[in-house]
Amino acid sequence: MARCLTRPRATKLLGVAVIAAIALTGCSSSKKSSSAGTTAKPVTLTFWGTYGNGGNKAQTDALSQSIIPAFEKANPTIKINYVDIPYDSLLQKLTTSAAGGQLPDLVRSDIGWVPKFAALKVFAQLDGTLSNFDTLSADNYPGSLATNKYNSHYYGLPLDTNTRVLISNSTALSSAGIAAPPATFDELKTDAAKLAAKKVSVFADSGLQGWNVYPWIWSAGGEVTSPDLSKATGYLNSPSSVAGVQMLVDLYKSGAIPNLIIGNKGAIQTSDGLPKAKYANILDGPWMQAIWQGQYPKFAPVYSQVPAGPGGSISVVGGEDINMTTASKHQAAALKFIQFTQTADYQIAMAKTGQMSVVKSLDSQEAATVPAFAPYIKQLQTARPRPSVPEAPAIDTALQNELTKAFQGSESVQDALTKAAATIDGLLTKAS
Amino acid sequence: MTAIPALLRPSRRNRRLWRNSSRYIVLTVGAVIMVLPFIYMLSTSFKSQTYVLTIPPQFIPHPATIGNYRDAWTTDSFARYFLNSVLVALATTVLSLLLSSMMAYAFARFRFPGREILFKLLLLGLMVPAMMLIIPQFILAKYLGLIDSMAGLVVFYVGASLSLNTFLLRGFFQAIPVELEQAMQVDGAGSITRYWRLILPLAKPALATATIFTFLGSWDEFAWALTIINTPSKRTLPLAIALFQGQNSTLWGLVFAASIIAVVPVIVVFLLFQRYFVQGLTAGAVKG
Amino acid sequence: MTAVLDTTEPRTSPAASGPSRVRRQVSRRTRASLTAYLFLAPGFLLFLALIIYPMIKAFQMSLYDWNVVAGATSKFTGFANYRTAFHDPVFWHATVNSGIYMVFTVPPQIVLGLLVATLLNNKAPARALYRVLFYLPVVTSWVVVSLLFQYLFADSGLVNWMLHDVTHLTGHNISWLSSRWTAMTAISALGVWKGIGWSMMIFLAALQGVSKELLESAEVDGAGRWQRFRAVTLPAIWPAAVFVTVMLVIGGFNVFISVVLMTNGGPADSTQVLLTYMYQQAFTNLNFGYGASIAVLLTLGVFILSVIQLRVFRTDSEELA
Repeated sequence: MARCLTRPRATKLLGVAVIAAIALTGCSSSKKSSSAGTTAKPVTLTFWGTYGNGGNKAQTDALSQSIIPAFEKANPTIKINYVDIPYDSLLQKLTTSAAGGQLPDLVRSDIGWVPKFAALKVFAQLDGTLSNFDTLSADNYPGSLATNKYNSHYYGLPLDTNTRVLISNSTALSSAGIAAPPATFDELKTDAAKLAAKKVSVFADSGLQGWNVYPWIWSAGGEVTSPDLSKATGYLNSPSSVAGVQMLVDLYKSGAIPNLIIGNKGAIQTSDGLPKAKYANILDGPWMQAIWQGQYPKFAPVYSQVPAGPGGSISVVGGEDINMTTASKHQAAALKFIQFTQTADYQIAMAKTGQMSVVKSLDSQEAATVPAFAPYIKQLQTARPRPSVPEAPAIDTALQNELTKAFQGSESVQDALTKAAATIDGLLTKAS
Repeated sequence: MTAIPALLRPSRRNRRLWRNSSRYIVLTVGAVIMVLPFIYMLSTSFKSQTYVLTIPPQFIPHPATIGNYRDAWTTDSFARYFLNSVLVALATTVLSLLLSSMMAYAFARFRFPGREILFKLLLLGLMVPAMMLIIPQFILAKYLGLIDSMAGLVVFYVGASLSLNTFLLRGFFQAIPVELEQAMQVDGAGSITRYWRLILPLAKPALATATIFTFLGSWDEFAWALTIINTPSKRTLPLAIALFQGQNSTLWGLVFAASIIAVVPVIVVFLLFQRYFVQGLTAGAVKG
Repeated sequence: MTAVLDTTEPRTSPAASGPSRVRRQVSRRTRASLTAYLFLAPGFLLFLALIIYPMIKAFQMSLYDWNVVAGATSKFTGFANYRTAFHDPVFWHATVNSGIYMVFTVPPQIVLGLLVATLLNNKAPARALYRVLFYLPVVTSWVVVSLLFQYLFADSGLVNWMLHDVTHLTGHNISWLSSRWTAMTAISALGVWKGIGWSMMIFLAALQGVSKELLESAEVDGAGRWQRFRAVTLPAIWPAAVFVTVMLVIGGFNVFISVVLMTNGGPADSTQVLLTYMYQQAFTNLNFGYGASIAVLLTLGVFILSVIQLRVFRTDSEELA
């Protein structure tokens, strides 16, 4: 009957729709170019990073227009396919890709992620794999190199580094009769009172994670963990550590630090508050220069060292590492590219776009090429890395949550740090 | 509405006038609240960063700049991403509407073993957080060879939209008088003819609603696109916009300019389909 | 209410008798079932493969200390992840916040959506324009409107300017996103603002089905506006109201992007909702087993709540009808 006649028509209709849809999107499962590589054909390495973060094209342009072409010219059998990933999403993308076994060959990863991905066997061990690993790593800053260490092996090499220095708005300072940025904790406290009259915050920061508070703890003479990274209790809650945080809490309670620091996403960001003279000082990295040049061309920031406390002026190491995945099918080629990242061709070219070099022997060349890095290079000499352990994100969460309570006044700084230390102890044991 | 002899009942007419104007006052206040944020966004998209978030707020940007739009459109291949989004959203909408209206027809008009349980299973799809399915789905997509392809976006967007669309359409199909279908059945029309020639045309308002929801859902989707797309030339708009959000500062003007470019097509789709919304459903079918 | 074709005998069917009639009926029923399955098959198979199968896998993950890497072995831990959740104060805090969001957003969306729909239902000039304006937030992406609301509720944003500098309702600028209740208010404001148009549209479609004859005869009988609404309109739009309520409750539990972008669950987990907490556990701490168990609990909660709602509303509608 009619029913029997119409059924095939509907199936056909559906088939047509599916085919049309797939044709429309113009893609019948394109093969990954890196999957098939013979000696005749050049191999293609996929490289994931976040260089193009925030619509800033300087770094991606340098990479695609000069650095990668230079490498490909020297190594005609290797092609590099760099893919830019949104900064906030790289971790999620790496995770899901690891779950599906669809990883790229190379990753420029945040220094905080390496131990975790090493523990998960996503990143490949480099010492013993890379022929000249010892020579290369000996020329890296120890603080940067340490971020690749997990279980006494190395799972990457430093790619770029940075640290936080004190950046000040001289207009804001001079409006309160202050001649120079605060060089010590004491100067910071006296400046706070003078600036309060002008309704300017003496200092602003956008969180209470390790990146934000460790400089104050270390400069106050405190510690975060024991040297072997096994314990936080007795270090994070030591009198010196407490004193460093207590100074910030006192300033916060007197209104000299805005509530941006406890995570108010509605507060003025430091990148806007400093040039607008709402904030007198911030701690931040070398990327800010380029951002301000674009948005606030008239603003002339002043750079100096982190205010010194009883422990000196000690900042925190940031940056990225270059890692090869265990899933890479072209390990020899990937290792070649990793070696290339440690040369002046890569390091100095990237330095010109705002990424600081990690190679010690290039120091003077870098300082000559990019004079603006001088305060950062100086600060890096004493800067320290955050504890490099797989549970690093959870440590940051624990610290931030407890310290927020201390800032809001529901807990004393001593209690907050003691509780945070106890939580972190648990995380460190879990990791080992 | 019944025609009331207006001249004979002046008091009633006044009351109606008053009621009408108060109605418009309420509606206008509501509409202003709805639209004001967009106006502010539009205005911000024409500002440079220096003039963002000032007190008092600037509604008319001064100095105005189209720099944000230029930057948004020229960064990478914004036009390409735009086209990708259009293709993916269209393919998803067509496929999803076809499949879910067929399912809805089965659920609304047939009694068969397992109907209740299958329908409940379908409802479960509305409730599970999409985020948690991402890892199993990614492994599945890899197995099906759909990684890094726009087909992979379409297939999974269709899968994710089936529950809501079927649920929505089933309700509307049930409201269509069964007598109309019986009459067609008497005339010898098979189920496919009835579905294609009677149910679908009568359910235009519901289909329009589903079209808008589905188009919107795939147009906006970020997490899945981020997960499976690797090649830059296959990116969709939400991925491109996410690349504008920096780690160290947010360029509000740029983000909003890019967003406005992304919002416009959706508004166009909505304007195209909105007139179907209000077409009488049962009234039109029975009386017309 | 549910009209089912295959149980209604076609009027032309000859009145057969005895076993032949039974056989024909059985065969007709089987054939009707077969047709139904054919209509269902393409969509439902896709649904099973793309949604149900991953759901089962996610449930399986929740029973393990899940190692996310392909091919790695994970430790089976039974219900340990669920026990952790029950003893995790942040999980409960997030559950309460999800509840707060629902209470703050679901009733206003229903009431205001219905109000606007009623006002727009009569033939009136500029009706199409208003419809578009109210629907505008619905068609805008969550990412965009969340950023927009973060911007509006910023310390020196438009909302504070309105409340403080223009109307002087508040003595000082409120730091909306810096503490739990004000931040939840801002996030909920976004939810309501974005959702009114959606419920309005469903109600508008449903109002088309309200019988004009019944309304008119009720008016003739002297029923007031409210009485007419209760006796005629409400029963007619009841299925739509149930649909809207169920969908909004589900949507309320699944609030995610707006929280991530406006507060990211902070300060210090104070605005964490279930999905943001799940995301943090799964994708930041890479604690997938625990994240999956939170997702399973969430799904279970929403499912139970939906079933209860459907039950409650169904009996009500029968009483009304």
